Amino acid sequence: MGRRREAPRERRRPAVMAPCGSPGRSGPGMAAGGPAGGAHSVCMVSDFFYPNMGGVESHVYQLSQCLIERGHKVLVVTHAYGRRKGVRYLTNGLKVYYLPLKVMYNQSTATTLFHSLPLLRYIFVRERVTVVHAHSSFSAMAHDALFHAKTMGLRTVFTDHSLFGFADVSSVLTNKLLTVSLCDTNHIICVSYTSKENTVLRAALDPRIVSVIPNAVDPTDFTPDPTRRDDSTITIVVVSRLVYRKGIDLLSGIIPELCQKYPELHFLVGGEGPKRIVLEEVRERYQLHDRVRLLGALEHQDVRNVLVQGHIFLNTSLTEAFCMAIVEAASCGLQVVSTRVGGIPEVLPENLIILCEPSVKSLCDGLEKAIAQLRSGTLPSPETVHNKVKTFYTWRNVAERTEKVYDRVADEVVLPMDKRLNRLMSHCGPVTGCIFALFAVLNFLFLAFLRWMTPDSVIDVAIDATGPKGAWTKQYFGRKKGGVKEELPSS
Amino acid sequence: MRRGRGAAEAAVAGPGPRVPGRPSPPPPPPRPGEMEPVPGRRWQKVLYERQPFPDNYVDQRFLEELRKNVHARRYRYRAVVFQSGAVVQQLCSVCVFVVTWWYMDAGTLSPQELFAAALVSSLLGYILFDAVDGGAGRRESGRTRWADLKSTLVFTAFTYGFSPVLKTLTESISTDTIYAMSALMLLGHLIFFDYGANAAIVSSTLSLNMAIFASVCLASRLPRSLHAFVVVTFAMQIFALWPMLQKKLKAQTPRCYVGVTVLFALAALAGLATVSSVGAVLFASLLLAISCLCPYCLIRLQLLKDNIHGPWDEAEIKEDLSRFLM
Repeated sequence: MGRRREAPRERRRPAVMAPCGSPGRSGPGMAAGGPAGGAHSVCMVSDFFYPNMGGVESHVYQLSQCLIERGHKVLVVTHAYGRRKGVRYLTNGLKVYYLPLKVMYNQSTATTLFHSLPLLRYIFVRERVTVVHAHSSFSAMAHDALFHAKTMGLRTVFTDHSLFGFADVSSVLTNKLLTVSLCDTNHIICVSYTSKENTVLRAALDPRIVSVIPNAVDPTDFTPDPTRRDDSTITIVVVSRLVYRKGIDLLSGIIPELCQKYPELHFLVGGEGPKRIVLEEVRERYQLHDRVRLLGALEHQDVRNVLVQGHIFLNTSLTEAFCMAIVEAASCGLQVVSTRVGGIPEVLPENLIILCEPSVKSLCDGLEKAIAQLRSGTLPSPETVHNKVKTFYTWRNVAERTEKVYDRVADEVVLPMDKRLNRLMSHCGPVTGCIFALFAVLNFLFLAFLRWMTPDSVIDVAIDATGPKGAWTKQYFGRKKGGVKEELPSS
Repeated sequence: MRRGRGAAEAAVAGPGPRVPGRPSPPPPPPRPGEMEPVPGRRWQKVLYERQPFPDNYVDQRFLEELRKNVHARRYRYRAVVFQSGAVVQQLCSVCVFVVTWWYMDAGTLSPQELFAAALVSSLLGYILFDAVDGGAGRRESGRTRWADLKSTLVFTAFTYGFSPVLKTLTESISTDTIYAMSALMLLGHLIFFDYGANAAIVSSTLSLNMAIFASVCLASRLPRSLHAFVVVTFAMQIFALWPMLQKKLKAQTPRCYVGVTVLFALAALAGLATVSSVGAVLFASLLLAISCLCPYCLIRLQLLKDNIHGPWDEAEIKEDLSRFLM
């Protein structure tokens, strides 16, 4: 299906601390926030969650933690990862269901639109879910959950994390699927304005039901440390997966070009991937072993330690919905040089980023400009940059804005069956529309059958363990129930 | 070129930010003051600033960077008809070859006659090949006449020597299979032939090999090994040498090329008419469809083209980066 997960995503490790849940910082925040329109019971569904690594995974985790802090009940549903299956509890009683569903491709489950209904219905009923929030258009489970939630009459929200083209067969098919999946979804969230435009076009949506809520980074994880860098040289840092879409081929042209021009220039490359060989060849060919260091895969907590060793951060991505890496780098006080693609121009203000066209020449020009500024000392100090960037993106803000979306959909009506069928048939084209309308009817009948087999009233209500006041934190409860494991996400 | 259509395309049917070009879903009930822009402040397409607009605010500038049909080309009818000449020529080549084989199989055309005619036309073509561009191509490639003569002799000698083998090569295979295989191979030749398009499917080597294979198959059904030899050399001339001459004619003297194409097509039609009049009519209508109807359709459908581009497209690396590794 997608190209997003072409290589194992090794770059990020789960943040051990939740930005909102860690004791040191939650004090004032706890008092500040509170659900305005009543607490929601939110079910996050995505194929991508820890122990898998990546942007979606950390987004789901961090958002859940902040929503719990704001007093909502949140649970995460994903598929089983190896031996990690069943129910797990993470920090602050965030309950995660690892469902035993078959993984098909790139950590995405197969979709039949039916097989997951019994399990998901149980969860939705047990947990008294009011809002189903699906993540990532690459996740089949997310689309399945949206489909079932609509059949069950629950409110649905979808977050799209990636950009997609229109010009190849795989995009045409996924875009069609997205049209079907989103035509009756209550609200859609995108991570940047470019991503919103892209999603609106791909799924033929009304732009008014699409909100833009950017990703965030934890600024306390990315603090500057000017003592760690060697000011007798200039170090350019690159932290990214080494794959084609990250523009590593461009990097292989930039390295020799600039190293010949500036003898004091060093490159520090963090990340792993199939394009590593290209960089190694370049290093070999130009004898740059002492000046180009390839660090290989980085753990999430090491990213900051690599970033602070540099003066300039280079991002050569060819497409990007919202580039977290440049925010992390800017938060560490580095001057960012990046390609002008996707949502990147929206992410940082002009004085913190030098935008270039995706070509070796333009990127070299941008880097030379940054080097000149560095030498003349006109760059702002890392501390100033950090203090500025840390106000831009916070998970609390993301959670607050997401909560507004939940409040909004809570007031909306879920389309009844007849209207839903009409919507499907009028919105998704005559052939696809009719096929999926038929599926919707079958899904409805299947649900009726399940309800007849085990009525909702028979299903136990799960104990609410989320939040600091949740059942989980109460001592007596934790001792009694020995069968459930408690784990930190890092383990 | 016309891929990338679908849901997205329907979405941009109408200009402006109100996207869906179909019955749009009922808008969610706007809350008081939610959708109105705040006076005195202009919305910016930035994420780092908290703006006094709701998250689902749709600005006038929404989708302003959308570009349509960036790489679309406008064709002129005459130019497309002219270019379709290559397809017509190749169809006619196949037709002429099959008709010639037919006459040899029926015994009305002796191998000596065919060989003489082919030799004369080859010599004419050889002279013409150098004459059209005044020998510029020859000087560029640096190929001598002696090399030409040598390869001709080697090829003829080998074909002649192996023609008894070719003759008996497929004896154990049924004639129906041979016909089916030849038809398939000639079709393949037409499909993979290099008509000048830059596509992955084009492979002139494969195309030529398929044509020669078909000619060997057909040659093996002829009465004597001399027949086989003549048919295979004829196939070489019409499938390998003739397209080269055509290409040069097309580049150097377009008018002449049109004339040659028309004459060749008429000749092929006349030849086919003597074998089967129904076939000739069908073939004529096929040629007309390819040279007149298909260009018309292409131009009409080009108007419906609706390819969308924007900042979300994956950037292309346009430079040649391999120079850094040389």
